[in-house]
Amino acid sequence: MSVTPLSRSAIQPNSIPVYIPTGNEIDIFESAYRNRLPLLIKGPTGCGKTRFIEHMAARLGRPLYTVSCHDDLSAADLVGRHLIGADGTYWADGPLTQAVRHGGICYLDEIVEARKDTTVVLHALSDDRRILPIDRTGEILQAPPEFMLIVSYNPGYQNFSKGLKPSTRQRFVSLAFDFPQTAREIDIVIAESGVERDTAKRLVTLVQALRSTAEHDLEAAPGTRLIVCAAKLIASGHDARAACRVAVIECLSDEPETATALMEVVDAIFGD
Amino acid sequence: MEEQIGILWHRWVNKLAVRRFPEMAVELTDVARSAALLYRALGGDPGVTVQAGAHTLHGARRSMLQRLAGSERKAGLAWVDSEALRLPSLIDVYPQQRLNRDAYFWLAALCACDHAPELSWPARNQTAVLAVIQDYPGLKARYFRLVDAEIARRPDPRKLPADEALLERSIREALRHPGSVTTWPVAVRPPHPVMLWLRPDAPAPQSAAAGETQQAGTAANIAQTDKKRRSAEHAQLPERKGGMMLFRPETIFSWNEYAKVEHDIEDNDDEDLAQAADDLDVISVARGGRQVAKKLRMELDLPAAAIDQTQLDGVQMLPEWDYRARLLRPAQCRITPILPAQTIAGILPDRLKRDQQRLKRQFEALALSRIRLKAQPDGSDIDIDSYIRQLASGSEERLFTDLRQRDRDLACLLLADLSLSTEAWIGSERSVIDVIRDSLLLFSEALSVTRDRFALYGFNSHERNDVRFHQLKSFDEPYDGKVRSRILGIKPAYYTRMGAAIRRATEILERQRSRERLLLLLTDGKPNDTDHYEGRFGIEDTRKALSAARQQGLRPFCVTVDQEAHGYLPYIFGKHNFIIIRKPSELPARLPLLYSLITR
Repeated sequence: MSVTPLSRSAIQPNSIPVYIPTGNEIDIFESAYRNRLPLLIKGPTGCGKTRFIEHMAARLGRPLYTVSCHDDLSAADLVGRHLIGADGTYWADGPLTQAVRHGGICYLDEIVEARKDTTVVLHALSDDRRILPIDRTGEILQAPPEFMLIVSYNPGYQNFSKGLKPSTRQRFVSLAFDFPQTAREIDIVIAESGVERDTAKRLVTLVQALRSTAEHDLEAAPGTRLIVCAAKLIASGHDARAACRVAVIECLSDEPETATALMEVVDAIFGD
Repeated sequence: MEEQIGILWHRWVNKLAVRRFPEMAVELTDVARSAALLYRALGGDPGVTVQAGAHTLHGARRSMLQRLAGSERKAGLAWVDSEALRLPSLIDVYPQQRLNRDAYFWLAALCACDHAPELSWPARNQTAVLAVIQDYPGLKARYFRLVDAEIARRPDPRKLPADEALLERSIREALRHPGSVTTWPVAVRPPHPVMLWLRPDAPAPQSAAAGETQQAGTAANIAQTDKKRRSAEHAQLPERKGGMMLFRPETIFSWNEYAKVEHDIEDNDDEDLAQAADDLDVISVARGGRQVAKKLRMELDLPAAAIDQTQLDGVQMLPEWDYRARLLRPAQCRITPILPAQTIAGILPDRLKRDQQRLKRQFEALALSRIRLKAQPDGSDIDIDSYIRQLASGSEERLFTDLRQRDRDLACLLLADLSLSTEAWIGSERSVIDVIRDSLLLFSEALSVTRDRFALYGFNSHERNDVRFHQLKSFDEPYDGKVRSRILGIKPAYYTRMGAAIRRATEILERQRSRERLLLLLTDGKPNDTDHYEGRFGIEDTRKALSAARQQGLRPFCVTVDQEAHGYLPYIFGKHNFIIIRKPSELPARLPLLYSLITR
């Protein structure tokens, strides 16, 4: 048996990650938290879903348990399992159980990637019962008011036959994220990388131009994350064209032909 | 001798007269893909493709030498219509290759930013230029380099008559300082063509002469050589009456003012004819009557025919998407189901036997794709989870994991294009239809090994009231000798009304209960039919039909042998839902493997 490594992070409340809101999502999040409602966030990759949740967890002062779901993630990986120690076996809580015990925020990223049995353990937690039954130990945990469940997925490249079941989806308050508006995206790039406004503006023009070709030429629309990476490279002294090539274009396509064509768009904005 | 001197003179005078740089030329085919992407990236309509535009007759003053040489009457200019972004097929007017290349990208960007088409030509172009250079600083630098080169090749205003000189100076000013020239002087002659601006007048649509239906097209060849478009208009065939001669006798032997050309595509063994067509300003296409012996293969800029929208009656009626009206018009196509005739059992041709054996072995492995089941009372491996539980509580008894066959719950409908274009030859030995036939056979052989449910249908159409849907194998029939002989008996005919066929296939596939449902389309080209169903209309309708299929939970995938499908298939199917088979002869063997990849 292989133990699946889980990415977990418990963020300290004294460092609040920067998040520039695009609408009323902070209000909605706080209301959902107060009313003990689970939250579903959907949106394309790199549009700030994870950052938003980290920001909110820090703001509310709750520990955040992040699980990046993959196609081998089972219910046991979330809830916990027995392990063998020096004195025989012992029970180890999974991240979901830990979040319930400690009143934290549990964030399941890309939930549709996880195996079907995982969504079932969420059902009793995500309706008004707010309980987590642990079959293997016979324990039933009642979630404290501070506990919050958040799931996210990307409807864009959602795997065929891997949608979220309506019975799961209808338990959540849903926030749809999209790429930020131009002015806000420029602010984000500046805040994240420290590049000059003109460079940030050009990078946003670039990413928006690339997004309009996404349906035709790319696998997925490029996110803000990509141009933030490029901006960081530019801020540390790299040539803008070279930075865009390695941080944006090569991340979007493996086909040399497409990459060449995409570089024409870069040249239209950063060329001389 | 006389002829040779003539040729020499022609070459010499052309060389002197023509200010072009053939060794620095850049061809559209080299930059088409990048230019199209730039056009889309800068906000251009993603539904159009990039095509070579017809050269435009500009009517401007030419130099003495140019008139002597009879050259430079036309210029390659750029514009966008509902079908395509039209760029010159070749740019060689600037002395550096880089400038000629930049000119393509500049024109693509300009077309994408042409936001004010209602303005006059100079105002419209200046607005578009400003839009591009403000938003895209990289293009700004290139633009001013191009302006320098453009001005260098333009006629010297000092050598022009007063009115033309004034106009020429305004153009130069507008190029150097876009947006600065608001009043436009009037001159008798139009100005020298501006390579960096859009074409002054996009071709105006005219209603096609209704009446006689055009003769059904003949089979298309796969390799297309002459891709320039020519300005075209429908014209009545002049009736030849006795009596007065209405033309000067010396024009009789020239390639005259109307040529009978088939809209479809034929052998092009006479290059002179193509050259002559280039030299004609507008080719009139006469309808009716006999076809000329020599036929020319080309696409014509025909104005879109008026669309017949009347609803049809029938049992199996399907809607059609009119992209211009953004409307799904109900009952536009009549489906004619063609059920299989009673046939005797056929056998697999010997040439496919080896492939069949190989595929069967490969597909047995596919059918056996296995999954590890945990907590089994008996099995091949110890289940550590169960074992730990057993150690912890002592109650667990199912301590093994086992490999089981995976449950493939899948239905696949294969839809084959049986239009006449599939009669075209690939190389010298086989035609597309042969390849499709073999593909269907091997596909069925391979799938009969797995337990996947599959059906085979073919389609062709003759206008909207006769969309023929051939049943080769329904989901309920077993794959046997009868199906085999039906596949062997398929014959191509008519056209490709793809949208209607996809809608019909969707209806059939929808009734299948399988968890995963795949609609596999096998084709050789774009959707088209003899009525309004061609070009953009067909593409948009097919796209709409596919998005409806996806909403029903089906998964469409296209396999094509059209080497130019890169231009339109991503728009119709999405980037990852099609594959172009480079060597069509490999299709029969590759199709089943492809299937195993898609359904993995």
